[in-house]
Order: sequence, then structure tokens, then C-alpha cells
Amino acid sequence: MDQKYDGTIPHAEIRLEGRRVFRGEVAHDWGLRLQWEVRRDGKVIATPAARAESSYEHPDATPGTYEIVLQMWKYVDYRKNAEREFINSKFIEVSNKVTYTI
Amino acid sequence: MLNIGRVNVPVCHGFTRRSFLQAGSAGLAGLTLPNLMNLQSAGAVDDKSAKIRNCITIFLVGSPGHLDTWDMKPEAPAEIRGKFSPIETNVPGISICEHFPLMARMMHKVALIRSLHHKTGATHENGQRWMMTGHDFNADSVKPHSGSVIARLFGQKSELPASVVLPGPIGNTGAGPLHGQTAAYLGSAHEPFFLNTDPSLPEFHVADLDVPKDQAGFRFDARSKLLSQLDDAQRRSETRSTTMHESAYHRAFRLLTSPKAKEAFDLDREPGNLRDRYGRNTFGQSCLLARRMIESGVRYVTLNHFDTVFNLTCWDMHADGGGLDNTYLDYERHLCPQFDLAFTALIEDLDQRGLLQETVVAVLSEFGRTPQLNPRGGRDHYPAAWTNFMCGGNIRGGQVIGSTDKIGSRPHTNPIEPPQILASIYHGMGINLDTTMLPGPGERPIRLVEAEPIRQLFS
Repeated sequence: MDQKYDGTIPHAEIRLEGRRVFRGEVAHDWGLRLQWEVRRDGKVIATPAARAESSYEHPDATPGTYEIVLQMWKYVDYRKNAEREFINSKFIEVSNKVTYTI
Repeated sequence: MLNIGRVNVPVCHGFTRRSFLQAGSAGLAGLTLPNLMNLQSAGAVDDKSAKIRNCITIFLVGSPGHLDTWDMKPEAPAEIRGKFSPIETNVPGISICEHFPLMARMMHKVALIRSLHHKTGATHENGQRWMMTGHDFNADSVKPHSGSVIARLFGQKSELPASVVLPGPIGNTGAGPLHGQTAAYLGSAHEPFFLNTDPSLPEFHVADLDVPKDQAGFRFDARSKLLSQLDDAQRRSETRSTTMHESAYHRAFRLLTSPKAKEAFDLDREPGNLRDRYGRNTFGQSCLLARRMIESGVRYVTLNHFDTVFNLTCWDMHADGGGLDNTYLDYERHLCPQFDLAFTALIEDLDQRGLLQETVVAVLSEFGRTPQLNPRGGRDHYPAAWTNFMCGGNIRGGQVIGSTDKIGSRPHTNPIEPPQILASIYHGMGINLDTTMLPGPGERPIRLVEAEPIRQLFS
């Protein structure tokens, strides 16, 4: 039986204290990779794992506007394209976003 | 003392074929649990003083690459060591893959066995047969699943079956139907109960526990009574197969009519945050159900992480670009996080309920994966070396048993074969492997497994 990740989408609240972002528990947790997506001026610069710790501070202090959101892997199927990336499965956002500026 | 099933047969100098056959036929021809309990005395099976009373085996169908998970070789060349990095665990000197951060925090509970290997074919089924039964075999000599052996030896301790397979049996893994998950010659009374549905689905319920809607209560009772009467009439001409058949029917009726059984399968009774902790997926909810099964009296739970290796994300990392196209991305995003969350939730949960001290959890697989990455960046089947692990009961955690060479290609120290894993489980559950035998085909006495326990596992 293949696994289904339909219906209720996982959700967590995140908040910022200084430059450190904290997450609450993930409700309806699918149990797949949980990661912080960090963008600077709109461009993705890091996707560190978020499962083991409930907070994260991005070490880069390059000036710019930073936006952080929690993401989880959504498995649809295993299929991959010629570049060996997934075709249908993807990361989806599972939290609110927080921003700060340096 | 010779023990056959729960029948203890005193012997002075070993046992005779005649004593075996006498006890064996008694055990096979209609001994119900009360009869068996009456016949119990100190013998080869001593489940009263055993440290391990229950077992959960988690079978990682497809088989993780040992070099990418629990036997990393960061000093090896890139085409050997792969893409992942090791992290330290809470046991100094033991490191595992970075994608198991939660497991790394409980390594003090886990005994890694890094020198597993077997010498038969490199199909999934060879490895499944070894790990499920302790034997490799062909269609003419099918061996019973370890859960069925436990069911045969110890019987049920509640209305629930002694052995349960979650969420369903192993299906097509490429080389035939012999996966080692049947009772074989032990008969249908000792077949595992297969859930056969996905416990993570919102509409999850166990079809086998539903009385058909057109069966009113009294009608169901009447049918049960009629079955008993027919059974009584047939008992005079009883054979082994009719007895097994009867037991299977009675087991089914007990399940259908037992509120405790229905309750055991009802995951809605669990708090939402605990269900989240296990992961809202087939594997995670099966792990949670495994804990509920043990709590409700099941002795042996087998949990198959996937029922096939084809056309889905699973551990079988060939990266072939077709139906076996699992890659590092599947490991990083799906498989490792899913396993890490569910496995650690299970261990924590069992521990908090006081069940871990009497329950062994064995994480097993068919083989390892080739030390050298294939041209597509995957790894293929490799039965010459792999890592599995155990915890719970009186297993001594925080240790590594055996090792492989510098590239993970061969056992370097303390080579271990799959039958030793089952021998260890049986031993831990109080079974004396030298004196406990089962009636095999033709009712010949057969040893459970031709191996010694791994003594180093136990504290």
C-alpha cells in the first residue's frame, strides 16, 4: 500500500525573538522532513532541518530582509524527472512566516 | 525436560522420538490453552522468569544502505561513503547518519549489530526468509514465521491473537511469494493476524472485527453455537488439520465478539499530540498500533515498513530511473525522517508505560547495500554486510556488536548471521533452544533455529 498524505495539512506556529525563530508543536504531523526555509531578499539561501530542535538562528548576517517559514515534505509519489528531482512530491509551507531585516 | 508447545515432557537423557510424538500429538490434537496451562511445569520454556515477554520486529522492506545509515564510513572515498554525514550520538564513539537526530539521543538504549551477513541469494526474499524464520527455504520446505513459533509455544494471553502483522503482509518484492510470514507446518491456528489496512487513514477500522450488518446478535451467537456443535461432532474423527481449522474459527469468533479487541485497534482513543509524535503516516500509526497491541496482550508484532519495493518510495535505493527509482532524496526527505520520528516515539512510549523493559524491539532488514555507488548514484542489494539493531528487555543498549571493514564490504569482527538474531529473541523470551523443538512436517522434531543467541546483546 502506498502512503497517502491527503486531507489535513500539518500546521505549526512560529515566532521570532531577535533573529532566532521558534516553532511550536506540529499539529497533524506527517512525520516527513521538516525544515526551515530561509530567504534573503526573496531568494532561498538555506533549508536547515527543523526536526531535532525547536528553534533556529540563521548564522549569516549579510544585510537584507530575511523571511523564514517552516516546511514539510509532501509525498505524492516517488516519480522523478530526468534531472532526478521529484515531479509531484514537494515541500509545502506548514507555518506562518516571520521576517527580520539586517 | 523437553518442551513441545506448552507440553513439558520429562526426559533423563535427552528425549526420545517416542516421547516427542506422544507429547507432540497431544499438543497438536486439540490442546486448548487451559489444558496447556495445566500441563505447565518448570521446563525448557520459562516465560515466567524471562526478561523479554513481547517482541516487536520492525522490518525495513527494501533494506537501507548500511553505509548511509548506521555504519557510516566518512573516511572512505566519495563513491563509497555516499552523500550523508555522520553525527555523534549520546554514546561517545557511536555515530550514525545525520538524518536520525532523534535516534542519536537514545543510542544508550540501542544495540547496533554491524556485522550481519548471509550467504544465500541477493533477492529480497532470501533475506526476508532468513530474518522472518531463521532459515532460508524453498516451496517444499516452508518454515514458520517467528511470530507463529511464539504463538505456538506460548499461546494467546488475551482475546487478541498472539502474533499480529501490521499493516499487512509483504507482497511482491520481485522473486516469488515465499516471504516467511506464514505459520507453515504449524497450521492455521498459529497464522499471524494481518491487519490489511492502513491505520493512518481517517476511516481506519479493522474489517475482520466487524460483525456483518445482516447478522443480528442472537443470529451470530446461534451460528457460533452451531459451529461448536459441528466441531464436537467432528472431534471424534479429529485430525491435525481439523483441529487447526477449529482453532482458527474460534480465534476469529473471539476477535469478532471481544470489546477488548475492538478497543485495542481503536487509534481514536489516543491523544492527537501522541499520534502526531509517531507521525501521521502508515508507518507511524502502525508503530502506535504496535504499542497498543503489546499493551493489550499480543506477544509478537511484526511491522512491515512497506509491502513492496516497486513504484513507491522505499528503502530499495537502486536509483534505476524506473520502478526502483529511490535515491538519496527519498532517504533524506521521506524515509529517514519517517523512521526516526516513529521509532523514537515507539521507544519513548513503551518506556513511559513500563513496557520497554519487557518488550524487545528489533529493527531488521534483508541485507545491506553495495559499498560502491552505482553509476546512477544508487546502491544495489548486498547480503555480505549490513547493520540492524535491537533494544528493550534486557538488551544492553549503547553498544556496537561486530564491525565491517573500511569500506563496509565484509564483517571485520564478530560476524553475525540472521538466525542468531532470532535465537537471541527466543532466548530472551525464555526459550531454551537446546531442548525446545517443534513438530515439523511428518511430526519430526525440529529445532527452532540452528544458531546460538548473541550473548553480548544481553546485560
